[in-house]
Amino acid sequence: MRNKAVWLRAAAGLSVAALVLSACSQKENTGTGGNEGGEEQAKPSSGWEETPDIEIQEGKQGGTFRLGITEPTAIDPYNAQESEGILVSQQLFTGLIKVDPDGEPLPGVADKWENNEDCTEWTFDLKTGTKFHNGEEVNAEAFKRGWERVAAKKSASEVAYHLAGIEGFDQMQAGTAKALSGVDASDPAKLVVKLTEPNCEFFLRTNHPVYSPVPTTAGDPATNTAFVESPIGNGPFMMDGKWEHDRGIKLKRFDDYGAGDPAYLDTVEITITANGNQDEYAGFENGTFDWARMPVPVLSQARSTYLDQDKWITRNTNGMNYLLVMVTKKPTDSVEARKAISMAINRDEIINSIFQGSQTPATSFVPPVFEDAFQADVCDACEFNLDEAKKLAEEAGLTEGTALTMQFNVDAGHDEWMAAVKDQLETNLGLKISMTSVPFPDLLDNERQPDAAGLYRSAWGADYPTPENFLTPLLSTTAIGAGPTEPATGDNKGRYSNTKFDDLLAEAKSNPDEAERTRLYQEAEKIAIGDDLALIPLWNRTQHRLVNSEKFINARMDFNENPDLSVISVK
Amino acid sequence: MGKFVIRRLAQAIMVVIAATLLLFIGLFVLGDPFASTGDKVVPPETQEILREKFGLDQSLPMQYLTYLGNLFTGDLGIDFNQRREVSSMIGDALPATARLALVAIIIDVFIGVVAGIVAAIFRYSFWDVLVTILTTLAIGIPTFVIGIWLRQTVSGVWIFPGVPRSFTEVVPWYQEVLLPAFTLAIVDAAFIARLMRGSMLEVLRTDYIRTARAKGLGERTVILKHAFRNSIIPVVTYVGISIGILMGGALITETLFQYNGVGFLLVKSIGQNNNPVIMAIVTFAVLIYVLLSMVVDILYAYLDPRIRLS
Repeated sequence: MRNKAVWLRAAAGLSVAALVLSACSQKENTGTGGNEGGEEQAKPSSGWEETPDIEIQEGKQGGTFRLGITEPTAIDPYNAQESEGILVSQQLFTGLIKVDPDGEPLPGVADKWENNEDCTEWTFDLKTGTKFHNGEEVNAEAFKRGWERVAAKKSASEVAYHLAGIEGFDQMQAGTAKALSGVDASDPAKLVVKLTEPNCEFFLRTNHPVYSPVPTTAGDPATNTAFVESPIGNGPFMMDGKWEHDRGIKLKRFDDYGAGDPAYLDTVEITITANGNQDEYAGFENGTFDWARMPVPVLSQARSTYLDQDKWITRNTNGMNYLLVMVTKKPTDSVEARKAISMAINRDEIINSIFQGSQTPATSFVPPVFEDAFQADVCDACEFNLDEAKKLAEEAGLTEGTALTMQFNVDAGHDEWMAAVKDQLETNLGLKISMTSVPFPDLLDNERQPDAAGLYRSAWGADYPTPENFLTPLLSTTAIGAGPTEPATGDNKGRYSNTKFDDLLAEAKSNPDEAERTRLYQEAEKIAIGDDLALIPLWNRTQHRLVNSEKFINARMDFNENPDLSVISVK
Repeated sequence: MGKFVIRRLAQAIMVVIAATLLLFIGLFVLGDPFASTGDKVVPPETQEILREKFGLDQSLPMQYLTYLGNLFTGDLGIDFNQRREVSSMIGDALPATARLALVAIIIDVFIGVVAGIVAAIFRYSFWDVLVTILTTLAIGIPTFVIGIWLRQTVSGVWIFPGVPRSFTEVVPWYQEVLLPAFTLAIVDAAFIARLMRGSMLEVLRTDYIRTARAKGLGERTVILKHAFRNSIIPVVTYVGISIGILMGGALITETLFQYNGVGFLLVKSIGQNNNPVIMAIVTFAVLIYVLLSMVVDILYAYLDPRIRLS
């Protein structure tokens, strides 16, 4: 009887597989074409709306929250880098500050922080009596130890550069110093940090895991692998057993958590899956996981199932999808050309037809998650406007048959929408586009080259919750890092350079007044995006999650797009 | 004989050196593993520290020689991504892959041989036609389709563990291995069935079988004792090759069923530009293959003096 059921299911599955296969080929047939120019346009869409912010309620202790991730590079803060590693690291460790889902800073181990007048010296007052999971006290020395462990050359941390700007960091990286000369931990309750140049937003950087404190047992990560595999931190959760590579990580609540309210959950089971969001979604559907990311093709269907059940979360997060433009190379070396190209891209149509509404069109470069700095229409050229595009194209000398290159990374789900962009530019402006797809490392390498020209698919997510982390690394002159004949060494690979823009950012950096800084960032964005359109914003980073709201309350996405485990509670 | 073995051994070493050299150059051409993390450029200072740590600041020939030297002492180094001992990573994955290969072989030999014999004995019967149709289908459908289908329909049912499942759910290895083994076995079983059928038909036509029958031996004895032994030889050869391939890891199937074997490790490492792991796995696969074929050659030479002299 049982057996029969198996084979019935199998037969059903086979027919489903056949349907899926035929659906795939159908999609291919309609993938191109579709865009008939400017005559008749789809109604502008803002994509799916964000789900409302939830109110955090009083929870109760207990329960196990289960989710899937892919295998992280490291869970030890010394080298935690991708969102999976940061997820685990932030449960195990709490730094000086924390941030809420919108990036607003909250006290962590530090109660309050102050800077001197020109923002070159920072003083953090630490909570006393907070403990590591092994009972050791968390004091200023523990922070100094943690930071030096990251900065030391022999640790070879891939993310050490987040500490750049602290006095003594360069010497430690060079291997000529054993300590951070700019960090004073002589008072256990006070951490004093000297910077090599003004940075009025330094405290925001300390939200990154590399700024975590570590206990005396941490030692050198290259030799003390026991700690790296099973770190002892001061966070709301502690390791429950070892990290089982490619299998999972189990966390349990740390009852003596001192840097905030203790967590509600008893345990968190993090299963490491082989196929990323596909497995997470399948696991959510078969009841294995309480939280899941989803592959793009299922988004629409999943939303229609789960939105009404209150199991769906949509948020615009701190990232941006855009086209990198080589602003010093023909044919994109004039503002008019860039604006013509941007205005000839119908973002709404692509979002509706290819993303099924799961993205929201960009109208700025600093994303809406930064409520104060966000300027809703700073990118006027982000609006589809065929007549204007044609006019500007003519001024810029983009004529019928002008050659333009486009490149993107292969096997990452970009084929379809990049083809649509190409199609629109060809139809709308008559450009002759040659588009290639290459492996991701090659894409990054090609972009850096001094003779790189045209458009490249790009995306950016902020490491620190400030608009500055969008503007400086991608658009400032120093972020080119090389002369015009050398490969770029920074992230400003489009080689945009504008002294007025640079000056505004420098001014913001040394301005202790937050409102004033926000204004300066807005002004800078107006220049680089509004006036110069130094890169072409496409759509916001819009993220979707599934959560088991039948069993849990307070489930929300944190600033790093992970479940905010410190507040989730069973019903 | 001794001379032949030495010559064959020298050849094997040459093959290993040539293969690793090609691989080394190939990986170098694939690009810089430390240029970026995600979308972000790694600062040049950090890249330099990383290159120094992993010995990539040496010249390419020097790197290759160091690698060869380490290989002989059994030191595979640490991986670029998690900085774990490569030998322990492979050590964890290898038993899983060996179990998978073994179970898959047992399944496909059993199914293939039985189906082949039945099809040969009852030639042109319903069963023969059925075997022909099924084997054609099995060979025609790509393994990943079979895998996806099994995963979606059978996993989580009866004795087959669910995929994905929580890592806290303990599944004994002989259950975990079932679905990936079936997936791998289906195509192989089809090949074996066809081999078996053809070779059985050939043997059944030979004189000594006619003699056996003429002596009045029962059909059962004729088939199982006389025909079977001779007709299984091509199958044994095929199975030998198949084991060699399976031991190198089943890339798609292992990934699909979240099976932590060598194949999945290789897939992951390629995605990460994790050269030390890629080098180690491919070198291992080459070694196994070279060793197996060397043993077979020596065996042949032992059995047939003509090969020794040529």
